[in-house]
This record gives sequence, structure tokens and C-alpha cells, in this order.
Amino acid sequence: MKILLALDPSTETMDEAIRLATEKRASLTALFVLDATWNDFTGHDWLSGSGSRADFLEYARDNELTSEADTIAEFRKRCSPDCEIKSSTGRVTDEILRELAREKYELLVMSHPFRRGLEIVRDAAGAILKHANCSVYFVRGNESRSSLNTVNDMPFQTVAN
Amino acid sequence: MEEKHGMAKVIAIIPGLAFMVFTLYLLRTYVEPWMTTAVVFGQKGWFVQVLHLNYILLAIIAGMLYRNLLWAGKIPGWAEEGFRTTRLFIKSGVMMLGSLYTIQSLAKVGGVAIALIMSFVFGTILFVMYYGRVQKMDRSLIGVMAAACGVCGVSAAIATTPAVRAKPADVALAIATVLGFGIASMFISPFIGHMLHLSDYQFGAWVGTGILNSGQVLATCLAYNPTIAPGTAVAYGEIWNVVRVISIPFVVFFITMWYWRAEAEAEHITLVGIIKDKFPVFIIGFFAMTALSSLGMLGAEGSSTIQLMRTVMSWIFGLGLVGQGAYIDIRELKAAGGAPLKVGLAAGLIKYALALVVVLLFVSKETNF
Repeated sequence: MKILLALDPSTETMDEAIRLATEKRASLTALFVLDATWNDFTGHDWLSGSGSRADFLEYARDNELTSEADTIAEFRKRCSPDCEIKSSTGRVTDEILRELAREKYELLVMSHPFRRGLEIVRDAAGAILKHANCSVYFVRGNESRSSLNTVNDMPFQTVAN
Repeated sequence: MEEKHGMAKVIAIIPGLAFMVFTLYLLRTYVEPWMTTAVVFGQKGWFVQVLHLNYILLAIIAGMLYRNLLWAGKIPGWAEEGFRTTRLFIKSGVMMLGSLYTIQSLAKVGGVAIALIMSFVFGTILFVMYYGRVQKMDRSLIGVMAAACGVCGVSAAIATTPAVRAKPADVALAIATVLGFGIASMFISPFIGHMLHLSDYQFGAWVGTGILNSGQVLATCLAYNPTIAPGTAVAYGEIWNVVRVISIPFVVFFITMWYWRAEAEAEHITLVGIIKDKFPVFIIGFFAMTALSSLGMLGAEGSSTIQLMRTVMSWIFGLGLVGQGAYIDIRELKAAGGAPLKVGLAAGLIKYALALVVVLLFVSKETNF
């Protein structure tokens, strides 16, 4: 069995994915996606000088890289050496779905709400559930945001396709 | 996404741009004329008379419908590069708006604009700094919210974020709050303006002061009166807008100094450095057009050059606003919440209401523009 963990800062989700992988003797791959949609998100901004925009986008990129290093370091501390860690860049949910399509995973584990990059203001759970080609296991994060309009209020949800 | 350059970039722009042009063409040629004659609830032209819809608001609505319904929250790859030209169109349009003024006319209303804008910008910043502390918001986020609510939404938030070391994800929430408020006020303000029988001068002064986002000021003024000429809502509103835009580097400097006060970092911050880095250069284009207009180099009022320029401007703004609508993702706006929402809403509502009161009390219906 192959499990994919979509990484965000939640250590509960990391622990849950590791527990599941151990229990089911499955191979675990963790995927960190660097959000590359900041440029698109700031499309509302048409007044800033190019210096301001460039500064912001560079700052957001640096922040993404720091977040990648921190999250992967946290995951490495917890997982066994045979866990695979991957990184990619793009729209977060698209990259997760691309990875699911590329390898034959049977389960995707991710936090809900999913706090990676701009997914904080998006419905990652909805986008993943709509297109995932495997079962999805959501782990309720500590900092749940009631204003996020997503799919469930249950602590966990598993969806079989 | 891979960044395209040169000819490949030009080719990549075509599909999205063609789609925006086609949309605006349909709206202006078929939808708007139909709305002026359509009978709804027994009233001819109900869409225009009651809802005050015109091609400007329709352009924004069309963009929003594309993004949120047709494309399920994401501009598709084939249209992405074309829709990115939105910024270019609106900036070019604002530069061309400079032709509506002469240096003398700017001097006449510029003083009122500077006084109103500066009081409201710095008043709002101080309010957000106070209320943000009451709400126990992080100092970085207070700085970003103060800039966003005080000056002009996204642009100021983006300019301030690196300086106050705010988390980009928090900034996204702040932007969602400010944009949500701005979109609501964009559709509500024309109703209020018509209800209170505000003149174009009063309306321009009000929304130029009270609405948080510059793109939305432009759209709201054009929604109130789509005519682009001296003495119309957009001509007045844009003066307020330009004053506000010019204040961005000063606001960034003020907030940065507040954030780093009593720390070594403060010694490295200079106003000149921030102006050099953050000044929106296109404003120079705006004033260059005003200079040309003052020297009579664009022809007299009513000349074919002026007419052509205004027709081009109306298309440029229309295209830009289809694009701006397509950048509004309702789901992203719904993510606004917590303390930034409380602070943003409080600041936005107070500014919006107070600006209306000040305009009604102190700004005359007419001006010798």
C-alpha cells in the first residue's frame, strides 16, 4: 500500500500519517508544495510600483522556502529513514492531484483546514475531494477556522472513491 | 508556472485578451442597450433606473462570473497571461485620465483633496493601530492592516508586508477583508449617491476618500456616471485617488518606523530610500498628461483627439475591469475572519460613513473645476 502525506505545518497530521503507514505496513511519501500563485493572487494590485511588487513576491518566495525547510525538518524528526520526501512548485492542490495521478497511491492524508501557502484562503479539501483518484483522510488541525467554508465538521473523514 | 518571454509572451497574452475584448464588446453592443429598453416589474429600463447597472459594473460582474462560476475559482492557463494585462490597462487608463485636468483645475480642488485624504489616511492608520492592539493582533499584521485600510488596499498591504516582516498568509487574510468590504461598497455606493442626490463632485470626493481600494474607487465612480470628461465623478474621484497613491511611500515609512521603533533596524530606514523603492512611477505619466493638457497640446475640449482619447479610455477601463472582476474569488474573500476582519470592517465602515458625513457637511455640490 502507498500513502501520500500532503505536508503543512500540522504535526498532528504528520503523526497520524506515520501511524497509519506503520499500522498498514505501507510506504509513506510526504509532499511539500511551494505555492507559486502569489503573483496571481496579487492581481488586484495595479497601483504598486514594480519595485513594491517585486519586493513582495521575493519576500513571499523566501517565506515559502523557509516554510519548506522547517516543515521538512519537522517531518524528518518524526518519520523513519525510509520515508520519501518530495517537493514541487505550483498551485498547491494541483500539485497534490498531479502527484496522486503520477504514482498509484491508495490513500492521501492531509490536514483540514490545510494551511499551506494561499490554501489558507482557499478550499483545499473541496478541490482535492472533487478530483482525487484515491481515498482521502482528513486530520482536523488545531487552529480550525470556522469561517473556512469547507466540507465537514467531523474530526476525521475518509472518502473512498 | 514557467515564465514566458518575448514573442512567446505576446502570443500567450492573445487568447485571454481576446476573451476580455469579446466580453466587453458583447456587453457594450448588446447587453447595455438591451438593459435600457428591457421592461422588468412593469418599468422600462429597470436595470438602469433601479439597479444603476452600466457597462462598467457589468464588466466587473462578468469577470467575477467567469472566475467563480465558469472557471470554478481559477483563471485557466490559456487565459492567465491575457488577464494579467489588467494592470497595464488600468494604469494606462489612469495616466490618460491626467488629460481631464489642467494644472489650474488641479490646484483648485487639489487642496481639498489633500486635506481630506491625509486626515482620513492617517486617522485610519492610528485607529487600526489602536483597535488592532485591543484585539491583540500581531504587530506585523497591525502594520499591514493599517496600510491596507488607510491607503489603498492591496497595493499598500503589499508595499508594507516585507518592511514589517508580516507572514504572507496573514496578509492574504487581510487582503480578503479589505477586498470584500471594497466590493460591497462598490455596488452599494452608487445607490446611496443617487438616493442622497450627490453631485459628481461630492460623489467623487466621498468614494475617493471612503473606499479602501483604488481600483474600486475608479469602478464606483464610473458606475455612478460612466462619462469620462472634466467635471464627472471619475474626474473628481481620480484626484482623490492620485493623492492617496502618492501617499503610499509616506505611509510605508510611517508604519515601518512605528514597527521598528527603538530597534537598531530603524536607523537604516530612510524616507528617500522608501520613496525611491515604492513610488508608483505611473503617477508621473498622469501628471505628464495634465501638463500636456494645460499647454493645450491635446486640443480643445470637444476636439477629435480628445474624443478619441476618451473613447479609448472607456474601452481600456472596461477591459481592465473585466480583468479585475476575474481576480475576485468569492471563496477567498469568505476566508476572511478573526481579528483582521473585525479591525478591517470597523476601520472601513467608520471611514466610509465619516467620509460621507464630511462630504455632505463641508463639500459643496458644485465646484469651478
